[in-house]
Amino acid sequence: MRNREIPRGLRDLLPDEVKVRRNIEKKALDLFTSYGYEEVITPTFEFLEVVETGTNMREELFLFMDREGGILSLRPEVTLSIARLAATHLQDATLPQRLYYMSNVFRHVQPQVAQYREFWQLGIELLGASGTYADAEVITIAVKTMREIGLDNFKVSLNQMGIFNSLLDDSGMNNQEKEMIRNLIEKKDLVELSRVLENMAIDDGLKETIAILPVLHGGLEVLNRIPYVESNRNASQAVSDLLKVYEALQDWGVIDNIVVDMGVLRGLDYYTGIVFEGYSPDLGYGLLGGGRYDNLLGQFGFPCPATGFALGIDRLALVLKHRDEEPRRFLVGGTDFKTVVQKAEELRSQGYIVEIDVKGSSREELEKRMENRENCSLIYAD
Amino acid sequence: MQQEYLTIALSKGTLLKPTIGLFNQINLPVDGVTPDSRNMVFSYDAQQIKYIMCRPTDVPTYVEQGAADLGIVGKDVIVEQGKDVFEMADLKFGYCRFVVAVPAEYRDIALKNLKYKRVATKFPVVAEQFFKSQGLQVEIIKLHGNIELAPIMGISDVIVDIVSTGRTLRENNLVELVKIMDSTTRLICNRVSYRTKYNQIQPLIETMQEIVKGGSTQCE
Repeated sequence: MRNREIPRGLRDLLPDEVKVRRNIEKKALDLFTSYGYEEVITPTFEFLEVVETGTNMREELFLFMDREGGILSLRPEVTLSIARLAATHLQDATLPQRLYYMSNVFRHVQPQVAQYREFWQLGIELLGASGTYADAEVITIAVKTMREIGLDNFKVSLNQMGIFNSLLDDSGMNNQEKEMIRNLIEKKDLVELSRVLENMAIDDGLKETIAILPVLHGGLEVLNRIPYVESNRNASQAVSDLLKVYEALQDWGVIDNIVVDMGVLRGLDYYTGIVFEGYSPDLGYGLLGGGRYDNLLGQFGFPCPATGFALGIDRLALVLKHRDEEPRRFLVGGTDFKTVVQKAEELRSQGYIVEIDVKGSSREELEKRMENRENCSLIYAD
Repeated sequence: MQQEYLTIALSKGTLLKPTIGLFNQINLPVDGVTPDSRNMVFSYDAQQIKYIMCRPTDVPTYVEQGAADLGIVGKDVIVEQGKDVFEMADLKFGYCRFVVAVPAEYRDIALKNLKYKRVATKFPVVAEQFFKSQGLQVEIIKLHGNIELAPIMGISDVIVDIVSTGRTLRENNLVELVKIMDSTTRLICNRVSYRTKYNQIQPLIETMQEIVKGGSTQCE
């Protein structure tokens, strides 16, 4: 029965699963709205040129051709589309712009738990604002979203890409070497990292600092363990940027969920400043990620600073089984249909969920049908 | 994922003995963990430590999924599977190397003359990547064991396998043509556990690194 199969990595979601997700979405979207963010919707697929602006993830894309010979890609994420949208429509708008989205995205990954080929993201983008408070706002919203949907015990790891990037610029490595080091730190392949560094002709202090970055994790005290940074102007500036954001998060009451983690170097290529990732001990995969991407909009012809984050609804749904209580549910049956419908309308107007028995069954039949239903009462109108 | 316990996936087989030796040195509990034990889970309530006994090839999966926070497994398994796990320390034991081996009569063949040949291996990813990096196309034949048999029985011209002493190769009249890479045992870590259990994991990693640095010899 081939007509019952679905492609690998895709799923059907049944009512109970959808309820959990809608609950997450509603809480998140209400929170975004309360901070002044407004929803935008972008196309499900884009030209490959859009998707490949600022990222290099061709192997994970679902590509196809349109009839004019253009190469199209199902969106692998939404930030790129929003950058394009902003460059197309918002060049004359008052900045900053606060936008949010909720959409499915598509990546050709090996399907397994928490890795799907179609998955859902919720996210915000704060366009046209640089500086500490813009970063702090976005991170605060990330933390509050997780709290709002009922997750406790989660952590958001914070880093500033500039620390690492400036150190690498200082080293005199070529781009290929930088990319290799970055991959090794992001993958935390410490074994290969120390081997590669050993064979490089760079300053010992710098070597030590790069080697220690991936394991620096904790409060602000970790910044004291990279003394070499002080000798690099750009890196110290990045550190002071990180400090300011940290202080703002302290003032805004979300610091309990924040850790500093120098090993967070987000995989997507476009990040330029503060970056962060969120985790829960209940799932072996990250729940959210984001950061500052000041050069991306410029690549679409709209130079403009920006920051944002996305969270994975599917992964949150794996961690959170909770869903809100539903209103009480009734099944109304009876011999006279007019009465049945009237009764049903009356109950609905009081806020209940009401099904009517469209088959005109007897009271006994309906009582039998009620036996395996929870949170539902029968009303039989004679 | 276990919240309080630190769960470590251990490779059964040849790596288990040196693993127990290392754990002894760093005062991790090892009571009852022996190569012939049939238990699959060992739990130590006082130390909040749990071990799960896995086939080596399953260790990266348990760690990637977060069922185990840490894992002890050979680099050979890690590179072949390419799982998304952190590689925290080289434990230096369990040395072996990936090699391309050919029947003895071809001992002088140049690597480039292996193009379009049939390559039998348990490690198709490693083999394919290696030949690709040399600009060579070959036909990979995936087998699950006794790779040496493939050229003898004529289903492959060449093999890619891991060897430690090279004895098995010699016994089957094969010679090592080129080394692809060295492999030793590694400590791997789940991406999220590393962050959520940092205070338990990081000191453990550092202790292991200290012991390993002072102890056995480097393989390269």
